[in-house]
Amino acid sequence: MNGGIPNLGFGMGLGSATGSGIGGSSGNGGGPRGGSGGRSWPSTTSVSSSGKRIQKEMAELNSDPPPDCFAGPKGDNLYHWIATIFGPTGTPYEGGLFFLNIMFPTDYPFQPPKVVFKTRIYHCNADSTGNVSLGILKDSWSPALTISKVLLALRSMFINPNPYKPLVPSVAHLFLADRTKHDELAVEWTMRFAR
Amino acid sequence: MLLMFRSNNVAARIFQRQICTPAPGTSFNCARRFYENIVPSYTVYNVECPDHILRKFTEDGLYLVSFSLNHQELVVYRPTWLSYSYTGDDFDAEQLPPKYNKFESFFTQLYTVSLTSIGELICKDFFLYIESKKFGLFATSTAQVHDAPAVGGAIQGVPSIDKITFHLLRMEDGVILDERVFHNDYVNLAHNNGVFLYDDLLAIVSLRYQRIHILQIRDSGNLVDARVIGEYCREDDELLLNSSTQVNPAGNSLLHNQSIPENSFLSGIKQRLLSFIFRKICNEEQDPAMRMQYLKKKFYFHFQDYVNLVIWKVQFLDRHHLLIKFGSVDGGVSRNAENHPAFFAIYNMETTEIVSFYQNSEVELYLMVELFCDYFHPSSANSLNMNFISSHSNNIHACEQLKYNRNKASNFSQFVKKILSTLPVPCQSLSPSPYFDQTLFRFDEKLISAIERHRQSTDHPIKFISRRQPNILKFKIKPGPEAGNTDTRTKKISSFLFHPILPLVLSVQQTLFLQPSVVNIHFRR
Repeated sequence: MNGGIPNLGFGMGLGSATGSGIGGSSGNGGGPRGGSGGRSWPSTTSVSSSGKRIQKEMAELNSDPPPDCFAGPKGDNLYHWIATIFGPTGTPYEGGLFFLNIMFPTDYPFQPPKVVFKTRIYHCNADSTGNVSLGILKDSWSPALTISKVLLALRSMFINPNPYKPLVPSVAHLFLADRTKHDELAVEWTMRFAR
Repeated sequence: MLLMFRSNNVAARIFQRQICTPAPGTSFNCARRFYENIVPSYTVYNVECPDHILRKFTEDGLYLVSFSLNHQELVVYRPTWLSYSYTGDDFDAEQLPPKYNKFESFFTQLYTVSLTSIGELICKDFFLYIESKKFGLFATSTAQVHDAPAVGGAIQGVPSIDKITFHLLRMEDGVILDERVFHNDYVNLAHNNGVFLYDDLLAIVSLRYQRIHILQIRDSGNLVDARVIGEYCREDDELLLNSSTQVNPAGNSLLHNQSIPENSFLSGIKQRLLSFIFRKICNEEQDPAMRMQYLKKKFYFHFQDYVNLVIWKVQFLDRHHLLIKFGSVDGGVSRNAENHPAFFAIYNMETTEIVSFYQNSEVELYLMVELFCDYFHPSSANSLNMNFISSHSNNIHACEQLKYNRNKASNFSQFVKKILSTLPVPCQSLSPSPYFDQTLFRFDEKLISAIERHRQSTDHPIKFISRRQPNILKFKIKPGPEAGNTDTRTKKISSFLFHPILPLVLSVQQTLFLQPSVVNIHFRR
């Protein structure tokens, strides 16, 4: 249920990661790795390895981007990305442009990134504050997954909502009970909030 | 025809007017040439004047608006004219009547209205006139709080004013028709900057809450909310959100507590803006792999900067389109906003679409301003004399001046920024007086211009020279006492109030210390 959330409680959480750059200081000063900036402590932190991993995934994403999906680091912070997804054609989200926050934990890829919508969406798997419930971002996360895979999963969420594991039960209920009405509302939301 | 152009004698011109029909569509321009003959060349120095802050003539010339010195009352005058009669033999054409140096001989007081409640003062820099309905819009406010905490959706770094009240008055009799109050908000009232009037539509920019309030002024004298642009784009967006999410109130409140501020949604206008920027950058590069690199550099890297942009200023371009200036928080309230990076967006509030987006250094936008300047100064259709305000796109002389300045400028990009820093234009800041018509007169724009601003005063009279006969001085305006100032060291500030139609000008000279100001009346005897 709460795969990514406990990270927030630890010192090595997202809050500290957002402040640091690519080769910046590690989030938590445990043991000898409190050195910041130019200190030349032997770096055994997960930050640098997660950084390398993210950079690798970024290169991979650049060379072969998934359809309708774009993403890149916000500012010079490798751990905080912004993704942009065009509402796929043939779905009620067509014509919309959705912005999402993607935050990588410092122990990435052992923990999944946290994805939050910055654009309002009428969807049973995204709630009224933008949180997303997606299997691969929680229990079914695997370190073998990459940012490209996450983007693809998000895109398929637009095409096939999962009403059986909803975050907003009322939307899921409408999706199952009256699909036409659901799609009408989703179109309305897309036109109003996602253009 | 040629003869008419050449003759400067008023009698000859009247004769010409009788026998010649002006070319189609030029009758107003032809009639305005008579202003070359009828000029405010006579000065009554140091007029005995009520101690008021003289603000401006309304655009139709029917009213002179002034405020009491304590910023509490509005005093409205009707411009009349010095009228006098002689009896018997004491007729002397050179002599003016004894009352000629009294303010009351030129202006009749119509009424005095108190606008303020406790703690409030009239903002003397703010006044808008709704010519079609003969309404006036005034503002009163309490003092500014500079380090106000950013609560309830307010942004950090913008001062707060406890109470700002807009008063809609019927100018005829001073009856207050409606009021609109903004609490704990900040509207830039100086030089009408934060408010724009177009026809019956009013745009008020709340800097603190980043909202553009669109109000409609009804014939009945009511201020009606049309829409609010900012958090949402359409007036019923919030309603739809509430009705869709109401179904699950318990779940919502629970999730609400968990959410950290980082998770807040983009506001309606920001979503449109970012979406427009994204699509624009996306379309600039066709190759998929290159596009990603391009987006990374041009969009994602600056994402937070775009998100942090705040609305500074707004103007109408027509009934649907707004020109919105965005910038960083610190530029919104500072005086020299020129040096801050800024962006311009044209927003259609009916379709809720961003039509275009420019940086403040973009040559394309500058060229639009150079060529189609009048488009940025929309005037209401029924306001006749406002259509004759000289600009560099309707006047060859103003155009040449702009080109001269452009060529003289050492740094073109700085020049572009400087010109674009005047956008969006402040509402009703130009005087429609024919004496500022650059086809008729030439004058030093450093000393005087159609833009209503206080200017540093010199002891030399300001010359208005005929445009058609370049060496002929038509009239002079000299602010301050007739003999000049004995104290030459103190800085003196002048302001000029030109009647929009009559050859009647008020010049007000003030020293920076609280000495009484010197008011001169310039008129045609």
